[in-house]
Amino acid sequence: MSNVSWAALAAATLLGSTALVSGALAADPIKIGVSGPFTGGSASMGVSMRDGVKLAVEEINKAGGVLGRPLVTVERDDEAKNEVGVQVTQELISKEHVVAAVGFINTGVTLAATRFYEEAEIPVFDNVATGTAVTKQFLPPDYEQNYVFRNAANDTIQSAMIVDQAIDRQHFTKPAILADSTNYGQLGRQDLEAALAKKGIKPVAEEKFNIGDVDMTAQLLKAKSAGADSVLTYGIGPELAQIANGMAKLGWKVPIVGSWTLSMSTFIDNAGPNGDGAIMPETFIQAPTTPKRKAFIEAYQKAYGIDRIPSPVSAAQGYDSVYLLAAAINQAGTTDGPKVRAALEDLKTKVDGVVTSYDHPFSSTDHEAISKNIPVFGIVKGGHVIFWSKEDEASASQVRVKGAVN
Amino acid sequence: MEILAQLVVSGISVGMIYAVIAFGYQLTFATSKTLNFGQGEALMLGALVGLSLTQWLGFVLMLPLVILFGLCQGAVVEWLGVRQSMRAKSEFGWIMATIALGIIFRNLAENIWGRDELKFPSPLPEEPLSFLGVNMLPMEVAVVVGALAMMLAVELFNRRSIYGKAVVAASADRDAAGLMGINTNLVITFSYALSSATAAVAGVLVGPLKPVGATMGAVLGLKAFAVAIIGGLSSGFGVIVGGLILGIVEKLTGFYIDSGYQDVPGLLLLLLVLAFKPAGLFGKTAIKKV
Repeated sequence: MSNVSWAALAAATLLGSTALVSGALAADPIKIGVSGPFTGGSASMGVSMRDGVKLAVEEINKAGGVLGRPLVTVERDDEAKNEVGVQVTQELISKEHVVAAVGFINTGVTLAATRFYEEAEIPVFDNVATGTAVTKQFLPPDYEQNYVFRNAANDTIQSAMIVDQAIDRQHFTKPAILADSTNYGQLGRQDLEAALAKKGIKPVAEEKFNIGDVDMTAQLLKAKSAGADSVLTYGIGPELAQIANGMAKLGWKVPIVGSWTLSMSTFIDNAGPNGDGAIMPETFIQAPTTPKRKAFIEAYQKAYGIDRIPSPVSAAQGYDSVYLLAAAINQAGTTDGPKVRAALEDLKTKVDGVVTSYDHPFSSTDHEAISKNIPVFGIVKGGHVIFWSKEDEASASQVRVKGAVN
Repeated sequence: MEILAQLVVSGISVGMIYAVIAFGYQLTFATSKTLNFGQGEALMLGALVGLSLTQWLGFVLMLPLVILFGLCQGAVVEWLGVRQSMRAKSEFGWIMATIALGIIFRNLAENIWGRDELKFPSPLPEEPLSFLGVNMLPMEVAVVVGALAMMLAVELFNRRSIYGKAVVAASADRDAAGLMGINTNLVITFSYALSSATAAVAGVLVGPLKPVGATMGAVLGLKAFAVAIIGGLSSGFGVIVGGLILGIVEKLTGFYIDSGYQDVPGLLLLLLVLAFKPAGLFGKTAIKKV
């Protein structure tokens, strides 16, 4: 064949493939709602989650989309406010006509907003908010089907882990609980109390604080004078930092063990050296322990030009939620809400995610993808979250998969 | 005993922050009988501008620039919000206008400095000082000293300088001061500028003690408002006492009653003061002649 015809063939192939690609793009895009707090005190989680979602969407689109159609995200800021969350949810459903939604960081917002997805029969993925009640609002027989799924470690799991860690592994006997006054903090406090009660332990002090509080002296002094040997926390970054800083001020240093929000950059940066040693359960620690995780971390760093992911857990869970959803839509062969929900409850393809490998993650009665054996403990050290135990770090390359239902 | 002393000391440092912001409410109320409901946002902007400048200039050189920024910001609030509604003889227009400007400033700050709460590097060592078993941060001491110094400076200015006397005259009787040749509009603009400048300095002082971010002003502004009402909107001494009362009562309630009720006694006090002494604990009751 002469050079000319080679060139012609190449051109034809090129043209053909462009036609294919543009054909795929021209196909009706699949709209996915993404909502979370992109402003305010929990924004580091919201923005990391959103960026994780966008990363997954880009990858999927590059590989040809879902059902030959590209995914498109419609992003809305819920400002971590319940009423704004409800408002943007209604907008996503009735104005944008999303076929599914992922997101939610704040338990209060999730509880208020998922109702609308339930009523519209649109599957919704809570990929960060941890309140135990989130997936339990619309259970049969009161509701025909539950459309709320989650791929985050819920508070029942986290509080049990925190208590196991504090009491069994670190042998504290007199824990104090410090929790903020939001839904998140107070529901978490109840879960912690219940988990402690199972071990026959009553916290020596239970203190509350408000978002935006300047000074934690009263709460800390109460815990100190009650003889607490550890502080269990349920709050968000800035106030948790005030606790660590307040402890340093009072010259009272006991270990802080708390929910995963202790890994927020707002805690780590604002507490500085005072935050070192804080321990929390994490579904994902920014470490390239598997090829999948390595690829994810590198892609995230490259796409957003940063070294440390502000909230690695949110980013990883956000990323995974899109792949789970895409697998379900592929299996359903349609974007029809009830069919996608049914596909999620019986997901036949194994989804290899960043947090874990999802093999039949959901069933009609269980909408939680993360079980108690998946998270590991992280510890803050020098501005980063690393593995708390050497064994966990050594075994991190073996992906922990969902085991028995907790 | 040590615990009580520790609570009181912490209460004093928090209370002084409330007092400085409340002092700002008072400055504008004296001259124009209006308040800047965006006072918390003025504090927030001061803290964030200070944070940006301190990285280049250091803490000491940054201070005068933050004061300058506060002066300008206050003047802008007066021009855009208050003057228009006073000209229109609207009783309440300035309330909406200053609240609206506060929201605009908050959104502006979110766009410039981002959404996360940031760390303000402390100009003083962060190791606590220990005194008779009571611990305090050097910065907490600086807040108390700085707040008192600033209020003293403003009072001295008002009493000793000719410009200050114009402010006092306008506060005493705006119409009479106008007839004596004092440009009362300028005096009001100036009082707004001064009020925002004190808030901006308060922001820089509180910054090292608390994560700074666009939403930090809301709670502080509200508590300072309670302090201004408790202490009286016409008494400089009143806001200091009011601030200390609120700060200390908060800490004592948090410890001896329940940390969930920390904010309740202060608000109860506010209601009591409004019921029995509406001009505030130290305010002068003036009869409004119509």
